[in-house]
Amino acid sequence: MAQTTVAALESQDHHAHPAHLQHHFVSSEQQFDAAKMGMWLFLITEILLFSGMFVAYTVYRVWHPEVFELSAELLDWKLGGLNTLVLLLSSFTVAYGINRIQHNDRKGLIINLVITLLCAATFMVVKYFEYTGKFAVGIFPGGGFAPTGVYHGHELSHFDVPYASQFFSIYYVMTGIHGVHVLVGMGIFVWLLVKAIRGRFSSEYYTPVELSGLYWHLVDIIWIFLFPLLYLI
Amino acid sequence: MSAHGHHITPARTLVMVFAGLVFLTILTVVTSRMETGPLHVPLAIAIASFKAILVVLFFMALKYDNKVNALILSVGTLFVIVFLGITLLDTMYRGDLPNTQKGTIMDQQRAEEALKAEDPGAEAVRINRPENP
Repeated sequence: MAQTTVAALESQDHHAHPAHLQHHFVSSEQQFDAAKMGMWLFLITEILLFSGMFVAYTVYRVWHPEVFELSAELLDWKLGGLNTLVLLLSSFTVAYGINRIQHNDRKGLIINLVITLLCAATFMVVKYFEYTGKFAVGIFPGGGFAPTGVYHGHELSHFDVPYASQFFSIYYVMTGIHGVHVLVGMGIFVWLLVKAIRGRFSSEYYTPVELSGLYWHLVDIIWIFLFPLLYLI
Repeated sequence: MSAHGHHITPARTLVMVFAGLVFLTILTVVTSRMETGPLHVPLAIAIASFKAILVVLFFMALKYDNKVNALILSVGTLFVIVFLGITLLDTMYRGDLPNTQKGTIMDQQRAEEALKAEDPGAEAVRINRPENP
């Protein structure tokens, strides 16, 4: 198919290209594949960024498993589970939005992008309440770790054990950097939404939606691992 | 013409994958609250990995995509496993070597010979070395 495209383009006036096709690509298909491969390479750098934190988690957990099991009781699995469902729904709406624009349904794409944005915002609001609830009772990362009083029925003096602050430092850094990725994703979805409302996407051209979707699914996958590792086990 | 070559994942497939992911989320919460003994941690990681594979194959459409992208992800994942595995080989076995000394083995042998020279009748002179080196 690429062969026929080359022949067709060479025999044509070059101004006949679609508006989105840059001159250094042979075809829209090649441009799309190149962009997607570049996105996958970027996602690998993201995976390696998070892998450093997952390795830190594993090393400390192997050294102090009982402290990790105890400290995880202070994380509310209901809020973590709610956030998991919210992110899964947003991943679905991104994937379904791409399905819609592939069928040239611009309104369908816009609706799905709005739902995705709402899910991301819900996730951050839940995260805000989790963080502030812990800060209020002195559960801070690093040297500031000084839990006092009672938190959700737990007497916090039982949880102020050696290495508990390592667990919460890892918790704040991992969920914090993940949260930054959610915020970046929200910015990207606002940008996509503006472009979609202006009618820039069609079944012929939706590369930014596809690539942003890949990013968002990776953010979802990171949370799929963070939820059981931090909240459940 | 560009989009006509792209695979379009049907809405039905996306809904079924989403339902599967929700089911697995409930399953991991339920199993984490049961007494599963040594399976506690491996089970949670296995369920999370299965969820991640579902997202990669269907939401990210890697199943229908150019195989080079699957290769990129596989090599990336391989390097994460190398990173984790080699690090754990260090951190899990620290302090397991009993005869760690500042000097080299050659230094210890020289010190032994010096001690033997001082007292030629001594039975067995060893500096922090196993009997059968």
